[in-house]
Amino acid sequence: MNLRIRTHPYRRDEVSTALIALLPAIIVFGVFNIIPLGYTAYLSLLKWDGFSIERQFVGFQNFLELLSSTYLWNSLKATIYYTLGVIGLSLPFGLLVAILLNSGLKGQVAFRTLYFLPVVTSTVAASMVWKLMLDPGSGYINVILREIGFSPPAWLRDTHWAMPAVILLGVWKRIGFNMVIYLAGLQSIPREYYEAARVDGATSLAQIRYITIPLLAPTTALLIVMAMIDSFLLFDQVFVLTGGGPAGATDVIGFLLYRYAFRYFDLGKASAIAWIMFIFIASVTLIQWRLSRFGTKEIA
Amino acid sequence: MSSLKPSLLLGNLILLFTLIVSACAPATTVTSTATPVPPTVSSSETPPSVHTSPIELTFWNYWDGKNGETIQALIDEYNTSHPEVKIKNVFIGWDELLPKLQTAVAGGNKPDIAAVDLVWMPKLAKTGAIVPLNDYIRASKVNLDDFYPSQLAVDRYDDQIFGMPVSTNNLELFYNKDLFKAAGLDPNMPPKTWDELFQIAKQCANPARGIVGMELYTEPGEGLTWQFQVYLWQSGGEFLSKDLNSAAFNSPAGEKALRFWVDLIKEGGYQISSWGLFGQGKSCMVMDGSWMVGIWAESAPFDWGTALMPYPTDGQPATNMGGEHVIIFHTDEVRQKAAWDFVNWLTSTETQVKWDMATGFMPIRDTVASSPEYLLWLEKTEPRLKPFVEGQKYAHNRPPVPNYPEISDAFSREIERALIGEVSVKDALQTAETAVNALLQK
Repeated sequence: MNLRIRTHPYRRDEVSTALIALLPAIIVFGVFNIIPLGYTAYLSLLKWDGFSIERQFVGFQNFLELLSSTYLWNSLKATIYYTLGVIGLSLPFGLLVAILLNSGLKGQVAFRTLYFLPVVTSTVAASMVWKLMLDPGSGYINVILREIGFSPPAWLRDTHWAMPAVILLGVWKRIGFNMVIYLAGLQSIPREYYEAARVDGATSLAQIRYITIPLLAPTTALLIVMAMIDSFLLFDQVFVLTGGGPAGATDVIGFLLYRYAFRYFDLGKASAIAWIMFIFIASVTLIQWRLSRFGTKEIA
Repeated sequence: MSSLKPSLLLGNLILLFTLIVSACAPATTVTSTATPVPPTVSSSETPPSVHTSPIELTFWNYWDGKNGETIQALIDEYNTSHPEVKIKNVFIGWDELLPKLQTAVAGGNKPDIAAVDLVWMPKLAKTGAIVPLNDYIRASKVNLDDFYPSQLAVDRYDDQIFGMPVSTNNLELFYNKDLFKAAGLDPNMPPKTWDELFQIAKQCANPARGIVGMELYTEPGEGLTWQFQVYLWQSGGEFLSKDLNSAAFNSPAGEKALRFWVDLIKEGGYQISSWGLFGQGKSCMVMDGSWMVGIWAESAPFDWGTALMPYPTDGQPATNMGGEHVIIFHTDEVRQKAAWDFVNWLTSTETQVKWDMATGFMPIRDTVASSPEYLLWLEKTEPRLKPFVEGQKYAHNRPPVPNYPEISDAFSREIERALIGEVSVKDALQTAETAVNALLQK
């Protein structure tokens, strides 16, 4: 197949045809993304419960109140803890599984399906099962641990162990996704590099260290950004597993937003939280983009 | 190219149209469970005086199961005897009702009538979207003194009444007779005081078999707060000050109540777990709602009884109440009047007796509680409801402040720290007081 890259500018009727073709996408994007975004910005400046006829304009008071409350900072801390935990564990494990599956192991297809299963499992259903297993008194995990002589923590009801337990579920759900993306990345690395390395006498570990990992850098950067955005929006696991407890240890920012919007009916504050989240995610992503020089990495 | 364009445009328009239609369709089917709901005609379009066909009123509520069947039967009865009105019953889940009302009020397709959780009443009353009922109450000569005052308290706002109580429930003690017997306790002697409760809980607990003595609600949220309030009132304390301007639970009574819970956990009467052990036969006792009588009568695979919730020897009986209140939304005078007639009928003694006998809800008015028909039914069919009916006179009310849900969350978050042993009883009450006061000053 021969693809020619065009150099001349688009003709006018081509532009209008393109616009018409893109129209549905533009409208849908506008209606479901741009308009709500603008509307939340407007709401974040109000004191409004969603019912009252009267909407009180309060300027940046919602933001100021949030920034001076301990809840927001506690939630940011919990969210960052969760995000780092999920990225730090699900990426290495995803890569490990991908490398093992790529090395021509027997029963590849079965393992790939098994590892991908959590990704397509309903989070709420999975969380309920985890909650039963992690119950301090009657959960299987503690029953077994006690049986073999440990005195296990109360997991989801312990301020120190609750977040690790939530992270564990997040990692369990994410490994499969990372694995699939890494597998695709691995298959695009030319075999010749490995052959050349073997000729030079590189061990398999050295091959991973000097060929696989550097060549997968763009994939890794992409996975980090995706995991970060997903983790920042964490809600359902916490809603089912801990309800933000114990004592706020897992009160992540998505759950804080939910509470303000749908329990306290403070739409102004909820929208302000949404914007704080948005600004935070956008800036971290931008910084990351810069640092990793997305996709431009060349092999020396 | 140019011949392609119109067809492309047309194709796109069709695509968009289908998208919009499919996006809107679920919204209308979700709100209607059995029968499709016609869009509520907005008041500006129909001249209020010309109603040749019956006025259609929509009634949103979250009653399901037996309660849902009963309200449907009552509505059918009303529609038959009032041909000029047609009430449409629309079920919407508890967790969805308030957000749905919120969007409906903003979007203009609000219901005429809704039955809402009493905790939401103060918030709804101040929105200006619902109709004050004083004039209707006066015109219909409703005897408000017959309703329990703690019930009507949540309906009052700005010297007006914005809702009518329609159903209520409260919390009393349930105990598992099988587990009592297994622990060598008399299954017909439930505890009467806190000391007895404490002793029985310790004796009946069996950690090796995963059985706790007295189940407590220790997860953050309103579940913890509303259970704890009972213990607080029983020790003579109050949750908020009389003027509702500050926290009042950081008192000797509050300390006594919280210490009772903490000691129960420390001494093995309870082991921190998720709520719901009693129904699984894993707790000897629990304080739970009157609505569980009907549920456990059918589903619990063990023998159980009920009793008035034990209270301290130097304290007093108390319980917390929940339930629903009916409200009417602003439309036009004709619709509002028709809606009131239905509300008045639904909350009348005659309808309420039927309603309570079918659902197991507690009486909202004295003439129901003392009606011979109701008392006979209680004795014959479900005597285990008797402690709840008795407890109704000791029922307190959660403080009617608009941001109660936020206050409840903040309170439970600090109290949980003491329950899991992170901070002392005194410190937990202190930090909870600071947090609640900060919310009340807003």
